[in-house]
Amino acid sequence: MTPYIIFENTTLGYGSKVILRDLTFTIEEGDYFGIVGPNGAGKTTILRAILGVLKPLAGRVQFQSRTGEPLRIGYVPQRDTIDDVLPYTVDEVVMMGRYRTLGMFRHPSATDRSAVAKSLDHVGMGDLAGHIFKDLSGGQKQRVLIARALAGDPTVLVLDEPTNGMDLPSRYSILDLTRRLHDQDGLTVIIVSHLLDDVANHASRIAIVEQSFFQVGTVSEVLTGRNLSDLYGLPVGVETIQGRTIILAGGTNVSR
Amino acid sequence: MSPGDIVSTIVNEFPYALYGSMLVGVAAAFLGVFIVARRVVFFGAVLTQVSVLGLTATFLPFFALPHTVGSLVVTLFAVVILSQLLTGKDVPRDAILGVVFVIAIAARILIMQKAPKVEAAEVESLLRGDILFVTPDLFWLMAGAFVVAMLLHGLFAKEFTFINFDAETARTQGYNAGMWNLIFYLNAGMIIAFATHMVGDLFVFGFLVVPPVAASLLAKRVRTIFAVSVLIGLISPPIGLFFAFLWDFPASPTIVGVASVILLGAYLLRLVRRR
Repeated sequence: MTPYIIFENTTLGYGSKVILRDLTFTIEEGDYFGIVGPNGAGKTTILRAILGVLKPLAGRVQFQSRTGEPLRIGYVPQRDTIDDVLPYTVDEVVMMGRYRTLGMFRHPSATDRSAVAKSLDHVGMGDLAGHIFKDLSGGQKQRVLIARALAGDPTVLVLDEPTNGMDLPSRYSILDLTRRLHDQDGLTVIIVSHLLDDVANHASRIAIVEQSFFQVGTVSEVLTGRNLSDLYGLPVGVETIQGRTIILAGGTNVSR
Repeated sequence: MSPGDIVSTIVNEFPYALYGSMLVGVAAAFLGVFIVARRVVFFGAVLTQVSVLGLTATFLPFFALPHTVGSLVVTLFAVVILSQLLTGKDVPRDAILGVVFVIAIAARILIMQKAPKVEAAEVESLLRGDILFVTPDLFWLMAGAFVVAMLLHGLFAKEFTFINFDAETARTQGYNAGMWNLIFYLNAGMIIAFATHMVGDLFVFGFLVVPPVAASLLAKRVRTIFAVSVLIGLISPPIGLFFAFLWDFPASPTIVGVASVILLGAYLLRLVRRR
């Protein structure tokens, strides 16, 4: 597998303030990579470096692809960072995903409109193309934002807290969609979440982030009771029930 | 005067007042949609006061520029400074804008007290923006600024839309959000500076807020909101001028009053629709 994103002795921070020091890891083609950790641990800082909007204070972050073309990263932000005062329609929002390929001074063509329709169909939102984005439910908005990222024809899909504040069915449905995009479409997926269960049952590799603790590996290597107890400062148990990983704050006490 | 005489007087004797106020109404109502959507209404209020300060400052011997140039220079300078200050997180944005707002008003009052060239009536007329005495030069200057502003918004509609809706994702797609924000605010600052000189701060701030809010109550799509807001900006000034003549009211407050009545109507209509 081709390494897509390579962190080499990378120190990240803002101005003179160091948030994370000396990170070395790679995200490879075909990964479903989870970044987890408590709030304020530096997950967003790593995310910003992956997105190329935060330059490292030391070391480097390298991007490469199999074809030699620049890596195309599709970003799905947290829903609440979007200020939807104006009533943009769903297809207008998804069209924003085509702006990079359109370039300056050009208006969307039939090809762009077709790409938008295809992306919406792909996430099961084709019927809502003309609806107002801000009137949608949280789960529907999330799907539209995923469609917007897909409209740019990405090689890597980055999702920031995609299931935050969602009810169980919406949460399951969004995670199922990301799984499908990974398994069927071959997209490399990077998901940032503080919800350990979500990441534990979908990611193939995980990075646990804390300012004094950073570890990368497979789910079974990294998500151990000891690691999580150290990370959160309370007893945390990790159990597997019917093939699913369950994280238990307060220790292991499962009725089977 | 009969209504016919009033219309005839406005059209024949005060054409630049009529067309100038309509031009400012349209420009402010268009920009105002973005200003309301960005939740920076107070920014609009601050810029109108800074623009008035720039006008007043031209009465100082060491800043003896033409009024419009003084207003433009000070407003654009404030935009650049504010664009830097507002990106920090040490002081809340509202507080920074509040400080600039207060300083602009205080400085204006002090300058008026001490500037040697000041004549109270002239300053009052300038600060209120005497619509009836809009000069052809000022009108054409404003028309030029309007064309530039519309060209910028036409050419960079995608960029402004994306930054406005989701600046974080736009940054990841290679858009320099800081630069596009600065271009937007410089553009707004230019319009506000010329418009404030022409019709006064009340008119400009009123039309940055009232038509966009009314339009957002009436329309359901973004393009329709722009269209309705611009329409309100276009029709309120002639109606307002008519009533100002009819009842011998000052023009600016009457025009803003007309726009506000439309806003009230839009609100009531929305209430009825919801039932």
